[in-house]
Amino acid sequence: MGLLALGLAVSIGLALCLGAVRYTPLEVVSEGLRGLGLAASPALDEAHAIILGEIRLPRVALAALLGGALALTGVLLQTVFQNPMADASLLGVGSGAALGAVIAVKLGWSFDVFLALPAAAFVGALGASLVVYMVAENMRSSSLTSLILTGLAVSAFLSGVTSIVLIASEEFRVRAVFFWLAGGLEGRGFIHLGIACAIVIPACLAAAALHRPLDLLLLGETEARALGLNVPRMRLVLLALAALLSGATTSIAGSVPFVGLMAPHAMRGLVGPRASRLLPAAFLAGAILVVLSDLAARAISDRYDLPLGAITSLSGAPYLIHILRRTERA
Amino acid sequence: MNGPRLLEVADLRVRRGEREVIRRVSLGVDASERVALVGPNAAGKSTLLAAIAGLLAPAGGAVRMGGRSLSTFSPREIARAIALVVALQEGAPKLSVLESAELGRYPHTGPFQGLSGRDRDAVNKAIAETCLQELAHRTLGSLSAGERQRALIARALAQEPKALLLDEPSAHLDIGHGLDLFALLTTIAARGVAIVAVIHDLVAAARWASRMIVLHEGEIVDDGPPGEVMKGEALGRAFGVTAIEARSPGEAAASTWRFERRAGG
Repeated sequence: MGLLALGLAVSIGLALCLGAVRYTPLEVVSEGLRGLGLAASPALDEAHAIILGEIRLPRVALAALLGGALALTGVLLQTVFQNPMADASLLGVGSGAALGAVIAVKLGWSFDVFLALPAAAFVGALGASLVVYMVAENMRSSSLTSLILTGLAVSAFLSGVTSIVLIASEEFRVRAVFFWLAGGLEGRGFIHLGIACAIVIPACLAAAALHRPLDLLLLGETEARALGLNVPRMRLVLLALAALLSGATTSIAGSVPFVGLMAPHAMRGLVGPRASRLLPAAFLAGAILVVLSDLAARAISDRYDLPLGAITSLSGAPYLIHILRRTERA
Repeated sequence: MNGPRLLEVADLRVRRGEREVIRRVSLGVDASERVALVGPNAAGKSTLLAAIAGLLAPAGGAVRMGGRSLSTFSPREIARAIALVVALQEGAPKLSVLESAELGRYPHTGPFQGLSGRDRDAVNKAIAETCLQELAHRTLGSLSAGERQRALIARALAQEPKALLLDEPSAHLDIGHGLDLFALLTTIAARGVAIVAVIHDLVAAARWASRMIVLHEGEIVDDGPPGEVMKGEALGRAFGVTAIEARSPGEAAASTWRFERRAGG
């Protein structure tokens, strides 16, 4: 765990130093000390100080926070669905967020109202997961299969509606949606960081507090119930947390795939399946992954930012194939 | 006997969908009893066990623990009184034996409380009783079937239950490990825990149990000492076989049994 924390500190350091404007580690440290009121003389001129303190710092902090949130969402959903390949798409979060964003763009809110797009995406994400859970509940079955199939059906339905709305939209609006869907942190600042902190930190703390029920769910439904856990209620609580975390992430950064699969999977091999160790380890690993991916998104091209979602897909897809091949062999 | 029995099942009916799987079953179990629940496939044995453990809501009747209906217990209260070891569970292969046994303390600690010294003592005692000290840090997935079964029993013992229910605990065990397992269950019963185990192997059941209950099509068709139940008509009808004693010279009780298929059985 100490190594992971060190890894995150190094990644954040690198991400602060590198980019279109470069800083030395010394400049970053002395600017940090000045920000904390521990050093008086500025190490950088005003423009460079603003780029570092007001553009790059919130972006890197947001990458770390959202990366951790994505990884935690993965752990929660994989435990609830008892499947190491489960991710937020099972809850219809991605398609719900996309529909929310598309509606905000289509109606012009996103151009008129500050933060309307992420807010609409968040409402869409939460709404979709709520519909998934209510439909599954109405079928009077809390079985995993009915949850998964309901998730797929609701996702497909929402994607269909999204496509219809997009077809009926002007080109510049479609562009805005695609730009957001590709996922990224360009232009995100302290306001986004504040919103993310308000949702992600309490949700992470709640997940950490529930580490013992999470461990019980590893045993399977019958065993967990025989040990006195109210499994349907706990599933609902954990799904709500996962929906909050992934809704917050998707609404701020768009789609950032594979982090929720890669970080928990890699950490399960290192620290084992118990939630008391897996949750913090996966959080740190997810944070490292997204900080470095966002650095790559900024640094690969001098001319424009690449989509963050594309970068995580480039590493995530081969990783997933690697896992599948290893599982097949085993 | 005065006062309520430790575990009582009264007129219990359990439905699975439209079908009534358990029909008006009544039985009582006292501390230290070793009860083997036998019956042909689909007789409702596992369903009865799950209902006794409070995992299935009865369609009628009641399960009582110390005279109090389970419907008035919280799930954690039930788990402090009754432990269930289910059959063929894959569980979490990457948990260690110790971690798995620690989860048995959940009914005592709840979701937010850590393990106290008292909890750790209970876990260590359960691991010692199942002779798993050497394997405490091995993962469940790396154990043999016999060791794994003991690890599951260790978790159940960590619950410190008054009644221990097991669903086919000797399935997949070779003869040696099967004997070890039944010896362990006898030791556990001797210190006051009531044990009800679904057992497929009638001979093993008759050797181990102090009492045998035959379930057939959701009803109890015989209940008594194994020697009598094995020779009884009800067991023969349920399984479609006749049990014949094979007694060694000088032995009072049957040392083994053989079975013959009944005509039209």
